[in-house]
Amino acid sequence: MWGETISISPAPGPFPADTAECEGRSLLKTFVAASAHRGESVHVFGFEIPEEEFRAGFDPDVTVRLLYQDGFTDPLRWTGEAGGFGAEEFTALGVAGRLARGPAGPTTVVLDSLSWLLLRQPLPAVCQTLGQIPRAATSLRVTRILALLHEDLHPPGLVETLRSLARAVVGVGPAPEGMGSGGDAPHLASMLQRKGTGKVLKKVGEGKWRCPDWGVDPAANLTFNLRLSDTERRARDGMSLPFHFTVSGHAPFSQPAHFSQATPLLGPPAQCPQPLPSRPCPPFFFLPVPTAVSGPTPLPLAPPTSSSSIQSPLSL
Amino acid sequence: LLGPTYGTGSILENTTLEVLDFNLLPSSLNLEDKYGIYSNLLFKYFLAEGIVCGHNLFVASAKEDPADILKELPAPLSDDALKNQVDEKETAIKSKQESQESMKIAWRYQNLPRIEVNIPAASARFGHYYDVSKVVSPELLQSTKWHRFFLPEEMSLHPEIKTCNMTCGYTRLLQSIQRIIYQEGFDGSYPQKKQKNILRIGIQSLGSVLWGDDICCAHNPEDIYSLTKFLYVLRGLLRMSLSACIITMPAHLIQNKAIMERVTNLSDTVVGLESFIGSERETNPLYKDYQGLIHVHKIPQLNSLICDVSGTKDLAFRLKRKLFTIEVRETLRDFNV
Repeated sequence: MWGETISISPAPGPFPADTAECEGRSLLKTFVAASAHRGESVHVFGFEIPEEEFRAGFDPDVTVRLLYQDGFTDPLRWTGEAGGFGAEEFTALGVAGRLARGPAGPTTVVLDSLSWLLLRQPLPAVCQTLGQIPRAATSLRVTRILALLHEDLHPPGLVETLRSLARAVVGVGPAPEGMGSGGDAPHLASMLQRKGTGKVLKKVGEGKWRCPDWGVDPAANLTFNLRLSDTERRARDGMSLPFHFTVSGHAPFSQPAHFSQATPLLGPPAQCPQPLPSRPCPPFFFLPVPTAVSGPTPLPLAPPTSSSSIQSPLSL
Repeated sequence: LLGPTYGTGSILENTTLEVLDFNLLPSSLNLEDKYGIYSNLLFKYFLAEGIVCGHNLFVASAKEDPADILKELPAPLSDDALKNQVDEKETAIKSKQESQESMKIAWRYQNLPRIEVNIPAASARFGHYYDVSKVVSPELLQSTKWHRFFLPEEMSLHPEIKTCNMTCGYTRLLQSIQRIIYQEGFDGSYPQKKQKNILRIGIQSLGSVLWGDDICCAHNPEDIYSLTKFLYVLRGLLRMSLSACIITMPAHLIQNKAIMERVTNLSDTVVGLESFIGSERETNPLYKDYQGLIHVHKIPQLNSLICDVSGTKDLAFRLKRKLFTIEVRETLRDFNV
């Protein structure tokens, strides 16, 4: 699946769009570095990652030209700290005001990411703002607007509309099997550019860049724990369950259950009860009561892996 | 039902066209090709024809400054330049004919008349010819009276409105057109004072997101009727004035097809452009001579009760160095012989 890089006219320039399978921020940073090396000042409106993470990896001569507008730390402007940039400030005048704080001259505007803005403002408003930025910023010359778009997050109609407005679109995606060698994963970038003369250029190039080693993991960074630590896993594995046959082959519940680890809701058994006649007892379950405040002890989800570890409730 | 600008203009289909005449059709809708290249070209042809004929222009856009659009209009070809162009073509065809051996298998076609390029006399000529590789001269542009509507400019005049939704944008455009029609007397307001002239209106990329409309990006738009209401009111303005209008629209982006049906109903002429750029037809040998296809969805039935009886609808266009031509596709024409 391809991601895309789009640029918005009238300021030409590519901006990457990516998908969960292949990130485009690395490519965006190469465009940023290229603009800085050309002597342009680069205003980055960052909403998705902290400023330190965005600046990481740039040479000193690039970072000196980088002016970061922080929309990540306080996007809703709750703390009201100076220097932050909120979603509601993304208007032509708001952006032009921030640009005016930088040096005059050729300027590249970078949006990281456009998807973040499109999830908070309607598309027509965002497109109109982008079109008006070069006109509103009278004190400097906006040469290009680069924006990162996460293609996965938007319906195809919206992506097509942005494609039609942009001067150049660069898509990033994983390279086919067998392409490239070495440590870094190869990626393919395809660019579609509309020139002022009316020509349309299409180019496909291969590049290698190291994607951060993260997968799409919805269970990461949660306030509760969906996974087990090693000790918790061992405790769970050692848990005896009421429905297991003994090694000697007795049916379950022909003898009363004996739980050494779980604490029954009704209180711990004082001593082993007398054997009951051989008829099945109605099953009853014990829910382990959490012993620590930090997190609940997970329910035993799987039976013990080996028969030798079965603590047969029937062997008394 | 017809405006006073009605005339004999129509799309010629049987020969190689060098002019697609939009002259006399009250409202003409041009459905944009995917990258908007050729529809922009036809848009500019329409306006250039207005300049050469001495008409007044009204250019509306939400994307490009109208002044920049006018600066890029194609330059009209003078008679001498046109004759040279035609002579070049004739020489090319003659040399091709001489080198051609007599046909062996297709001998039945040997006696068919050759395609001849004739340039009709100026009096019989319909429209003008343009050189796409050159832009119109600033002097010709200065002698033209034109009016502008640029949506970002209108919005900056009213900064209290932060974003212009479609209703706001379309309403402002209609008000602007109405004001110009009234002030300049195109509706007969000043019958004796001014010489009658025609107003050519060009609206670029109507319905796109830059006009504040979301029909291009949403299947269930916020206001599905705003575009059709605009067209309905515009039609009324055109009918009661000496004006003609061309509108380009990114139909390939409009998600809801019912909207396109209504828009087609509200227009007099609807022409769709399909360019081969980026499609598999670009490398298809059948289409090697052309850059795209023209689909005529609707032509005006002027004072007529019969339906569309045009001979063929298989039209293709090509852009060669200087000229934009529309032709019947040769493969099908050969079958018709």
